[in-house]
Amino acid sequence: MNLVIDPPKESTISISLNDRAGVLNKVREISQTDLAAIVEACDQEGFYPEAVLKKLGQAGAFSAHLDVDGEIDYSLAIQCMSEVSRVCGSTGFMVWCQDACGLYIESSGNSLLMNDLLASHGSGQTLGGTGLSNPMKALTGIETMYLKAEKVDGGYLVNGTLPWVSNLGQKHYFGTICNVVDSTTKEPMPGHELMFMLHCDAPGVELKECPSFSGMEGTGTYAISVKNLLITEDKIIAKSVGGLLKKIKSAFILLQTGMGLGVTQGAIDSMWKVEKQLGHVNQYLEDRPDELQQELDDLTDNIMELSKTPYDDSKEYFIRVLDARLHTSELALRSAQSALMHQGARGYLMCSEVQRRVRESHFVAIVTPAIKHLRWELASQKAELSPA
Amino acid sequence: MMEVIPNGQSQQDWLTYICKACGLLYKEEEGDPDSGIAPGTRFEDIPDDWSCPLCGVSKEDFELYDASDAVKISGGACIKSASVGNKVKGWTALKNSDVVIIGAGKAGWQAAQALRGLNKDISISIVTACAGDLYEKPMISVAVAKHIDAKSLIKETGGEAAARLGVNLYANTHAIGLSPQTNQLRTTRGTFKFGHLIIAQGSKPICMPNIGLKDCWHVNHVESYTKLRAALEDTNSKIAIIGAGLIGCELANDLAMAGHNIELIDLSSLPLGRLLPDLASKKLLQAWGSLPIKFYGGVKVNSIASENTKKKINLSSDDILEVDHIVIAIGLKTEPDLVKNAKLDWNNGLAVNPQTLQSSAPNIYGLGDCISIDGEASRYIEPILRQADVIAKQICGQKGFHYENRTLPIRVKTSSLPIRIEGKIHDAGNWDNEKGAKDPATGKIIFNQWHNNQVQASIQLG
Repeated sequence: MNLVIDPPKESTISISLNDRAGVLNKVREISQTDLAAIVEACDQEGFYPEAVLKKLGQAGAFSAHLDVDGEIDYSLAIQCMSEVSRVCGSTGFMVWCQDACGLYIESSGNSLLMNDLLASHGSGQTLGGTGLSNPMKALTGIETMYLKAEKVDGGYLVNGTLPWVSNLGQKHYFGTICNVVDSTTKEPMPGHELMFMLHCDAPGVELKECPSFSGMEGTGTYAISVKNLLITEDKIIAKSVGGLLKKIKSAFILLQTGMGLGVTQGAIDSMWKVEKQLGHVNQYLEDRPDELQQELDDLTDNIMELSKTPYDDSKEYFIRVLDARLHTSELALRSAQSALMHQGARGYLMCSEVQRRVRESHFVAIVTPAIKHLRWELASQKAELSPA
Repeated sequence: MMEVIPNGQSQQDWLTYICKACGLLYKEEEGDPDSGIAPGTRFEDIPDDWSCPLCGVSKEDFELYDASDAVKISGGACIKSASVGNKVKGWTALKNSDVVIIGAGKAGWQAAQALRGLNKDISISIVTACAGDLYEKPMISVAVAKHIDAKSLIKETGGEAAARLGVNLYANTHAIGLSPQTNQLRTTRGTFKFGHLIIAQGSKPICMPNIGLKDCWHVNHVESYTKLRAALEDTNSKIAIIGAGLIGCELANDLAMAGHNIELIDLSSLPLGRLLPDLASKKLLQAWGSLPIKFYGGVKVNSIASENTKKKINLSSDDILEVDHIVIAIGLKTEPDLVKNAKLDWNNGLAVNPQTLQSSAPNIYGLGDCISIDGEASRYIEPILRQADVIAKQICGQKGFHYENRTLPIRVKTSSLPIRIEGKIHDAGNWDNEKGAKDPATGKIIFNQWHNNQVQASIQLG
């Protein structure tokens, strides 16, 4: 009996259109050469891979989902993120940060903001992130909003501190949301929120170093302290935040799946690497690479199908997206764990890629929306209504 | 003697504050020496520009921490039976179960009971959006007039049934996604790996774009019915029932018998209009003559508005009804998402093999309200016992047992005029005698419907 399984002949990510293939091939090449060379420095030394990010942007990794060339292609955006995450989960996360920020700029409909940033952002010449973790939780009642704004002549004055925003640097920017307070009582006015672009080099903004994280080092993650920052019209993403979030919420979450798909593929790759030597004992493990690959391929097919209609605002579609995101987290966790078991002692070295990938998979499962948030949201989406 | 600190407060008053962002605890007794805050510094005495040493948020993003909060644990979702051990495997984070059943209505529990009867060792998990309590659904149609309290309808709690049958019951748990290729069911309380899956998810009330469950009660399950009964505590409520089919008519009859004023609304010009010949429907209306039931036929509901505790219903006839409660009973449908997203065959319900009750995936079965056989759903109790038996035998490896799909007699529990329907009514068929014929033996009025020179359906009044 042959105890060792043969690895697949070709990569599982396939595309049909030539230009799409061109973008994806370029992104894969950058990931597997430039990024692979520095992934350990990112993880161990907190090195921020700015040059690689800019190169990925140039190749088209950040613009596929934007309407810059008359066509939006979420499947390509997710596949690009997956290729990057397959090599480095931290950088894959920053691809998502950049993609989400691009989504805010485009969805703002604010021509001042779009003229200022959309082209340079889509091509990676300028970099940005997203500070929506706290606002999203605040808007669903899990936390309170950390940033507050007061209407003043010429705009809004913003104050507060936002913890842990990623893909930042001194010249970077990120989209976030704050409560607008009543000018006399200074209390937040329910339903009055402001979504805006916060530039890290604006007067009143200070980036504060964060403590070391378990993984995801090198992601340009800072706490942002804001004192009397004036937000003018050209920085505003939305004054009716509810409408914009409703429009982009599925797309925002769907995009994230690229991280988990890539981390999972990377874990499966690591399993195949030891199959010849260790297959005779690894056969006794759960979650073998061929089984995981089948599950990953099915999940990828599902996500590619969902990618065709990212702005579907139906409840049924939203539930499918939440389920796909949840499945991605669960699969990444199981795959990374299994890769560690497959590699055994060599995977227990601190410099091992499977060791790093376990921590990356934890991040996929914890970053907002975390597994617990997804299940909570799914339960509330599924709950039956009844008269009060 | 207790030590007293300079501001006059005792050590026992030391407070702890928690960072709402990252969970860091600021203990007044310990202070934050790294940031220059001496031990013993009261939280309110910390300078306003101090920030969380871990995540950097400001002082105002802290709140008082009550250590007793930390031990508050929400009620466990999985009610495990005493006899079957926890089958959850370690690090794969998958809950392994030989059989997973979706739904804990009559169909789900019947399947569990049939399986346990054949095999005492097989692991069975039930995933259900409801509490999983067992009750007799047909009683819902007659409970008010019989003075049966809604809670008395429950014959056994879900926990009791789980213990009796050795089942892991996951109550208040929603089935979210199904992957037949990998035998996984994703739920709001984790992912199951199953050997066999039995879909018994039941059906849901049909709503219309302008009439949703936010405004209307329904009686499709005991939990909703219990809420309705609680809301009906006052006698003589004015209740609109939208839909005068089997459920709508039975409920109208029952609530009216208890003294409630009923406004019964239907698109058809007569109650049970899609089932009965006109004369039979008229006899039912006559029988209701002494009851407070007003029938609005041939109309549709244009809109519903809430005003204080009342609901206003605008009908297409320009009538405006003001009522205390609205019950929707325009029909039932199976929710398609789980089945369709899993790419299982769907035909007005989970399409199953008429004999084996297998779906298009051989280890996934279906029974009860949610399935369709040759495109037809059956929402009655009788087939469920036979369906559960056939499925359990196949899962336990017994060969040669097939389900037989029969046409069943229907009893309409309108006590003012009980109605029995036999055979299969075709809309196109002709009723032999619009006046009906009197059965010489029983004296009851009978209508026959003919198709291809044969009686295909028969209705008996009284």
